[in-house]
Formats: sequence, structure tokens, C-alpha cells
Amino acid sequence: MIQQVIAGLQAGSTYAMLALAVVLILKATDVPNFATADMGLVPTFVGWQLMDSFDLTYWLAIPAAILFGMVLALVIERIAIRPILAESHFATVLMTIGVFVVLSAVIQLIWGSEPRRIDAPFSGNFEVAGNFVTYDQLATIGLGALITAALLWFFKSPWGVRMQAIAEDRVTPRLLGVRVDRVFSISWALAAAIATVAMTLHTQSTVLTDTAGAPLILKAFVAATMGGFGSIIGAFLGGLALGVIENLAGFYIGTGSRAAVAMIFVVLILMAKPEGLFSKARPREV
Amino acid sequence: MNRRLATAVLAVALAAVAIVLPDFVNAYRLFLATLIVVFATAGVGLVVIMGWTGQIALAHVAFMGIGAYGTNWLFSDLGVPWLLSLLLSALAAAVVGVLIGFPAARLRGFYLAIATLAFAELIVRFFVEADTITGGIAGKPIEIIQLFGLDPDRSQWYIALLLAVVVFTATDRLGRTAFGRCLRMVRDAEVATGSLGISATRYKLLAFGLSGFIAALAGGLFGQLLTYVSPDTFHTALLIQFLVVVFVGGVNRLSGAVIGAIFVVVSRELFQDVGDWQRLVFGLSLVLAVRFLPGGLTSLLPRLREMRRLDRQPQEALS
Repeated sequence: MIQQVIAGLQAGSTYAMLALAVVLILKATDVPNFATADMGLVPTFVGWQLMDSFDLTYWLAIPAAILFGMVLALVIERIAIRPILAESHFATVLMTIGVFVVLSAVIQLIWGSEPRRIDAPFSGNFEVAGNFVTYDQLATIGLGALITAALLWFFKSPWGVRMQAIAEDRVTPRLLGVRVDRVFSISWALAAAIATVAMTLHTQSTVLTDTAGAPLILKAFVAATMGGFGSIIGAFLGGLALGVIENLAGFYIGTGSRAAVAMIFVVLILMAKPEGLFSKARPREV
Repeated sequence: MNRRLATAVLAVALAAVAIVLPDFVNAYRLFLATLIVVFATAGVGLVVIMGWTGQIALAHVAFMGIGAYGTNWLFSDLGVPWLLSLLLSALAAAVVGVLIGFPAARLRGFYLAIATLAFAELIVRFFVEADTITGGIAGKPIEIIQLFGLDPDRSQWYIALLLAVVVFTATDRLGRTAFGRCLRMVRDAEVATGSLGISATRYKLLAFGLSGFIAALAGGLFGQLLTYVSPDTFHTALLIQFLVVVFVGGVNRLSGAVIGAIFVVVSRELFQDVGDWQRLVFGLSLVLAVRFLPGGLTSLLPRLREMRRLDRQPQEALS
């Protein structure tokens, strides 16, 4: 049981990090980014390549990968997203789905479908009160919590406040001298960094394949939905809860239910409490 | 009058070409032509829900799956006549469509995208679990039908044509009625619907039901063409192809579904042996269509005409 919960927390922390990347971009630019997972997967492959063919150590390759991911996100934001920012969610949903397809196709073209391993310098496990915890699990859960705390702090900082102001109203902050485009860039770059961390941790504890991103993106959106999309802490808790519930359902009910539980969950939440489980009610825009 | 005559002549000519086509092309070309017709028919369902009603509905290919599996199950396992099987599965898909519409009536924008994706995922999950009907994850061979005593290829071609004609004319008519205008009103001015006594919820539910119905009709035939279907058939890859069908073709017009279907089937064919390039082409065309051509390829012609009209006007004023 506890073993299942720990495994669930690890999966949940991955969902949570991706959900945070989704929420960050949504808060700043009002774009629901369906390409989040693959924007983290491309740099993860780059990191693997750096370790594999240039013999870089993990501690050099992964930061380089994160940097690459941030630059990639800046490029995507500039050429694909910003020109259609004024349009409805209809356009931005389709655009980010298109970006997702392009990124996953590029991964297939460059790296193929063969599974790879990322050798992390921290492997193995330790025992706590009769339960085994791997260092991967510890790192994933710990970093998830750390990123959540950092984002909470960030949204209180001047850049974070500007970001929220812009999400509310794009015109007034500009009149007050806020560089809106710079705020957009920062949100995309930060989100990509978080997504890269999430995908690296996820693929090093499982396996690195070209299709690792697609199943995760819907889970990330489910987690963000549980948190109500506006809330950092909500997205984090939503991710953890989803991971644990999935694992327990898979263990006690059957593996088939594991995949279905997230979907049933999100449909129920959207029908009953679309503002999320952890946030206060908000008046609807007309 | 002239224009009407021209349209009628064109329609007759097209019908004649369609009817004799099997005598002039080989079996594989005929298969591709049938695929185009089936894709265009399914695309009509997306035009109704995404184009006319303005709802981001991403469960469309799951409905096609209901059509493919349902038709084959009723026909092959229960012995129901094929056309009746197709109709019954389409009705079932319409009911599921209305069920999906319930949360949709309350959700907007990307919330709806998530909900419909989750529903699609659940339906595909059902295909995996219900293995007595669907053959589970391994998939199921589809029993091929031969109507009118023709060989399978021709029979599929004529059924697809018949179905397409029925679906296109019926939907086109429907689009011109008060019903069609109400759907567009839900899209363009949902806030105002209530004060005019139009229930936005009701029209959204009907649109979801109708689009599911059409998708399943096309899905039943799609299964025939594939001869073998598995849950994966009706997953992300096909969804993306259908997004390309409607958004490259033009989401607001029925003709967009035809243009988009030709585009997708031809691209599938050109990049058949290189699946990754195919994916890249679909991704890029979706990105480019959303970025530069929001009305799709079918919006080019009216736009061109408009430009020519504007060009001509000053000269007319001078003379």
C-alpha cells in the first residue's frame, strides 16, 4: 500500500510539474499549451545525445538541455504563438496541438522509435520503515515540491505580479510601461525549463522513447483542472492526488482502470466544479 | 439562371464520372477515391460541430470507432443487415455525442477541448476492454460486405458515394434552415441566445449528436476500407488527420471537408512509406493553416473574387 503511494507520488509529481508548466503559460499568456510535454521531451533527447556522443556528465548535459529547451520555447512562442495571441482559445488550442505534432514528428525523424536509457548519477534505493524508496522517486517528488515553492515565490516577485496583471488585462499594463512581450518570453522559457526537468526525471526512471510525451499531456491538464488552472499549489496537489489515485486504482481494481481513472476524474470535475477542487468560486465572464 | 444551369451540368457531369470511375482506374486508385469520400463525409460532422457551432470537439475519431466496431458487431456477430447495422451504430454514436455534449454545454474554450479529449480516451479504453465486441487491444478483422452483387471495391465505392450524397445534401439543407442559423448564433453570439428564447444548450447537444451520427456513418465505411481495426486506429494519429481535413480545407464550409479530405489522403499516399514525414507534414500544415489561413483553402476563392471586385470598382466608377 505505502509502496503504491510512493510510486503514485512520483508519477504525480511528474504530472504536477507539467501541470505547473501549463498553468504558468496559461496565467501569463492565456494559451492552453498542449505541446508542453513534447517541449520538455525534445531537450531531454538533446541531453541524452550530449551524454551519449559527447560523453558529457549528467550534471553538464541536463542543464545544457534545460537551456536548449528554454531557447526552443522562445522560438516557438515568437513564431507560432505570438502572432495569434489575440485570437480565441479555438486558435491557440489548435496551434499548440499542431506544435505538439511537429515536435513529436521531429523527435521521431532525428532519434527514431528505439527506446533509450538515461543514466542518472543517482540510482538505487534506500529503506524507510520497511519501504523502499528509489533516489529517482526522491528526486522527482522533491523537485516537484521545490519548483512549486519557487513558483509561489516567483508570482509574488515583480515579474510574477506583472505576469498576472497581463493575464488579466493586456492593455493597461502596457500603458504602465510593462514590457508585455518580455513577460511572455519569460513565462514560456520558465515553463519549458520545468517541462524539461519533468520529462528528464520521468524518462530516466522509466525509459526514453519518442512517444513518452503524448500520454502525459492529458494527465497534466487533468492535474491542472483539479487545481482549477489558476492556482500553483492546486496544480501541484492535483498532480500528486492524480498520481496516487491512479496507482491505487491500478493496484486494487485492475490495470485497465488505471488509464480510465484520470479521464473519469476530469469529466466529473469539469461537470461539477469547473473552477477546480482547491480554489474559491470565481464569477464567470460573460 | 445561367449559374444554376452551370451548377446542374457540373453536378450531372460529376455524377457521371463518379459512376463510371471504377471502370477506368485500378482497384488501388479506387480505394483511395473511396477513402477521400469517406474522409470528406466524416469531415462534415466536424464542420457542423467546430465550424458552425464553434465548439472545440476532439472526440470525433472515437465516434468513427463506434461506427466501425458497432456496425461490424451487429452485422457479423448478430446477423443484422449491414445498412441497418450502420444506422443503429450511428444512432448509438449520436446518443454518446449528446452525452458528451452535456458537460460541453457548460464548458467553453480549452476546458471543452480537455473534456472531449478525456471522453475520446474513455471510448478508446472501452474498445480495449470490451474484447467480446472489439477483439480488445489486438483488434478485429472486419467482415467485408458486397452490396448489389458487386465486387467489394465497387460496392464500397458506391456505398460511400451514396452516403456522401445523402450526408452532404442533408447537412447543406439543414445549414440553411433556422436550425443551422441557430447553431451559428451559438457560435457568434452565445450571450444573446437566451434573450431571444433560443436555448444554447439544446443546440449544442443537437450539434454534438449530429456530428457523432455523421462520424459513425463514415466510421462504419472506414472500417470496411481498412478491413482490420484496433483501438489504436481511432486514436491521436487519426484525430490529427481530421483536424487537418477541416482546418486546411476550411472549417466553416462543407466544401472545406472535401478539399481537406483530398489534401490528407493525397499526403498520406505521398508519405506512405515514411510515417514520420507524414506526421511532420500534418503538423506543419495544421500550424500554417491556423497561422495564415483561418478560413482554410476554401476561403481563398471568395477572397480572390472579393479582391478582383475591389480592383474593378474604381474603373467602373470612372466610366
